[in-house]
Amino acid sequence: MISIEELKDLANRLKFDMSEEEYQTLQKEFEIILKQMDLIGQIENVDTVEPMTFPYPVSASWIREDVEQEGLEIEELMSNIKDRMGNFIKVPKVVG
Amino acid sequence: MSYLDKTIIEINKALKEGKTTPKELFEQSIERAKKYQNKYNSFVTITDKYEEKEYNFNNKLAGIPCAIKDNFSTKGIRTTGSSNILDNYVPVFDATAVKKLKENQINIVGKTVLDELAMGGTGTTGYTGVVKNPYDITRQAGGSSGGSAAAVASGIVPFALGSDTGDSVRKPASLCGLVGFKPTWGRISRFGLFPFAPSLDHVAYFTRSVEDSAVILESLAGQDYNDYTSSNKKVEKYYENLNKDLKGKKLVVIKEIIDSVYDNKVIACFNKSLDELEKCGAVIEYQSVDEKLLKAIYPTYMVISCAEATSNNANLDGIKFGNRQDGASIDEVMFNTRTKGFGEFIKRRFVLGSYALAKQNQEKLFLRAQKVRRLIVEKVNDLLKEYDAIVLPASGDVAPRFDSQSEKLSDNYLIAENHLAIANFAGLPSITIPMGKKEGLPIGINITGRLFDEQTTLNIAYALESKLGYKNMMGGNK
Amino acid sequence: MIYEPVIGIEVHCELKTKTKMFSPAKVNFGDAPNTNVNAIDLAYPGIMPLINKKAIEYAIAASHVLNMKIDRDLWFDRKNYFYSDLPKGFQITQDKRPIGSQGYLMVKLPNNDEKRVNITRLHMEEDTAKQIHYNDYTLIDYNRCGTPLIEIVTDAGIRSVEEAVAYIDKLKSTLAFIGVSDAKMEEGSIRCDINISLREKGTKVFGTKVEVKNLNSLNNVALALNYEIERQSKLLDNGEKVAQETRRFDELTKQTVTLRSKVDAVDYKYFTEPNILPIHLEEELISKVIDSIPELPESRKQRYLKEYNLSDYDASLLLQSREFSDYFEKCNNLCKQPKLVANWLLVDMSSYMNKENLNITNVNIDYQRLAELITLISENKISSKQAKEVFEIMKTEDKTPNEIVKEKNMIQVSDEGLIISLIDEVLNENPQTIEQYKSGRTNVLGFLVGQVIKKSKGQANPGMVSKILNQKLNS
Repeated sequence: MISIEELKDLANRLKFDMSEEEYQTLQKEFEIILKQMDLIGQIENVDTVEPMTFPYPVSASWIREDVEQEGLEIEELMSNIKDRMGNFIKVPKVVG
Repeated sequence: MSYLDKTIIEINKALKEGKTTPKELFEQSIERAKKYQNKYNSFVTITDKYEEKEYNFNNKLAGIPCAIKDNFSTKGIRTTGSSNILDNYVPVFDATAVKKLKENQINIVGKTVLDELAMGGTGTTGYTGVVKNPYDITRQAGGSSGGSAAAVASGIVPFALGSDTGDSVRKPASLCGLVGFKPTWGRISRFGLFPFAPSLDHVAYFTRSVEDSAVILESLAGQDYNDYTSSNKKVEKYYENLNKDLKGKKLVVIKEIIDSVYDNKVIACFNKSLDELEKCGAVIEYQSVDEKLLKAIYPTYMVISCAEATSNNANLDGIKFGNRQDGASIDEVMFNTRTKGFGEFIKRRFVLGSYALAKQNQEKLFLRAQKVRRLIVEKVNDLLKEYDAIVLPASGDVAPRFDSQSEKLSDNYLIAENHLAIANFAGLPSITIPMGKKEGLPIGINITGRLFDEQTTLNIAYALESKLGYKNMMGGNK
Repeated sequence: MIYEPVIGIEVHCELKTKTKMFSPAKVNFGDAPNTNVNAIDLAYPGIMPLINKKAIEYAIAASHVLNMKIDRDLWFDRKNYFYSDLPKGFQITQDKRPIGSQGYLMVKLPNNDEKRVNITRLHMEEDTAKQIHYNDYTLIDYNRCGTPLIEIVTDAGIRSVEEAVAYIDKLKSTLAFIGVSDAKMEEGSIRCDINISLREKGTKVFGTKVEVKNLNSLNNVALALNYEIERQSKLLDNGEKVAQETRRFDELTKQTVTLRSKVDAVDYKYFTEPNILPIHLEEELISKVIDSIPELPESRKQRYLKEYNLSDYDASLLLQSREFSDYFEKCNNLCKQPKLVANWLLVDMSSYMNKENLNITNVNIDYQRLAELITLISENKISSKQAKEVFEIMKTEDKTPNEIVKEKNMIQVSDEGLIISLIDEVLNENPQTIEQYKSGRTNVLGFLVGQVIKKSKGQANPGMVSKILNQKLNS
């Protein structure tokens, strides 16, 4: 069974935390889904087919030409920014 | 009497005849939205600003009020995805679907509540509160497009935009007595739709009639140079081409899925629907699909969708937009923003998705899920070689109560309540329409057709709707 | 103990496209912060990547000149990690299927030996945003974010610092020559990460490798590698272990320092990008790209040596850049005088450009005008002295050499009859000089030539004059 510590580490690497109770719920959820995935392993041919990313076989019908388009106005860009300094987005110090 | 209680086709006729005006419809719609907000909680934002324009009523959508699920980017209108992390986000661009609706002179009355970032099927996880079913406010409207479903089912708007990754429009349509349609993957541009799982995400929508559904598809479909996955297939005249004659059409019912439905009333309504379809000329046959594959739908869906979702939502860190929290370092800012911004339910899904993608697990989880997806899709496409469409109950029962402890883990539940995701795996056009009522609560039937053959899918639904008479249904008397 | 370095190099190279890899925002080094940013670059919810055709073409061209196999179907993957310079929280790259694979580059070493450096993969990806760090805050500029990159990875077959430097230098000039990149290390358009380990010379086992990140000049590459060789040798000599880690080069101390240990390695959780459908590359597109690749320096040099009889030194100088070499070829195509063109380019033109701080792309004397000037010389219409005068005027005036020559009345007289009659006149006027010449003072010839040219108002061809004079005096 996957440990709470392991789950906490996974969550922290995704840049968030949860409460102890939430981790316990998650642990139960994991148990169920991993069991179900194990059952899937018993399906005939499951490991011999190619993984499917797109719903049906299709390839791109066009590619963008290298033609410049007007970008965002600086004020438009800044409209959703909490902290700025001139034209820059300002954030607390980046460590590492 | 308000023209809002009518279908788009009927409203358009009234607008042409001058019996009502877009402004009147808009004002009535806003009035209802506000009046019902406490009751159903359909909206995150109600946009009560009306702008007069020159309408062209030859366009059936001109002057029609509509609601938009709050995971579609709307320029200048706050768009939250029903997540606290985007509480203050005001997009600078319109989603292509929204842009097209505006070009068709539709008037937006508000942005509707969804399960947080569309990751859920109950309509209960949005940060502004749960959505209630207009037929019974002690019950769920379903999800994730619950707010849109409630807005159409309560008569606030005749049409609302939603999105469907597993069944997020077609299931709430079933629970709220509506027509819910998800065309082929690639048929409608996803540009501006907040991604949950791009390989499964579809723009979809609710109406109260199949005719309206056909009209909407014509306006939304088509290739978009902002969405690389949008198709260049020709857009048909779906409304004009609607045809109730099903002679020569072969429909298939998957036996194991019917076996998983435990409610007699649902089965009775379904059998009646099959009778009616036969009366329209269709041939109906039962076929078997390996139960193991059907039971695999849910875990396969969870693994693929959560894996894609954890990556798609990595952009939500409070730096470029959104509800930034304070912190001593940039890393702390991201951590605090995401910890406070996301609800518990989706955090759990992110962790699951991330685990499935991890190097040491990917083969057994993510890639295996993608392989099962292929097996399921191949099986379904095999059936569709012989049959024009698959017909199944959209749900095993009516809308659940908020306090119900459903047997989520039972084999029956696993199949009956999750099979709609097949159409997302394969990208097939799939429509839910009402097929009856149980104790006053609607039950839906689902029809899934061949890739890019939206017309046949709509035609089958159109024929059945006219036979059953469940058209333009609304709740709201409880 | 004698150790042998085992080196592998990853080069990130910014492509010279007008727009970004996945957005139509402008790519331009040095613009005001956050002015070349599209909604796509900021990763607003709902945006989707729009791949740049030119970037694909450049990747094809680069793969071709590096002798690589080109994948006919392009697939993209997501590389997932959180960092403030990465707005999406993932980078779109090509993990499983790089566009180019299994190639090589022939590299000339300082001792003139040739080394084949094997290149295992070339893939496309996007650059990150630029961050400027201050004591208590950081500023972000998204202009660079999304700039197309190709990453070129060698195998671990490089065996010395010289080989490493020569390889990067050759790669840099090749990419610049075919025009896919500015390839300027100092501007960051080429960046190197180098893996290095040591092993006892003569053995086959690999040692523990260390990655040195973000080397931004050839000089730093050499310094960092030499430092690592020394550091790792000492550790091994002392029986200590080399830690598997990522290091960076500190420009102030000229040392490498630990950045992070491999134990903390990030799992990038790669998976196929679901928003980019596979792109099938038509043969037509690939051959169009390959056909448009210019002839490479090696091949041009052979031609300059064999067909034009230029010296090795001159040929190398003409190949200092693609533009310079192109100028030479275009000019020569018009006047068919390779030696004269080479001389004029390498002497007069080069000193002019140096003095005025110009280069071959912005110098105001175009190849057509230079070719016309050289034709006037080769057809003996003006003397080389006159040509220099004309060249001076061309620097400041837009006129063609023919116009200048006409205006200045410079046409050189090469009419033999006329020259003979002028010579006869001069000889008649200077009998004593003829005597002096005949008595052995042959240096008076110069005086006589001068007199003839003076009589012609400077227009007589000096070569012809001295030749005929010589014949007459010695007959």
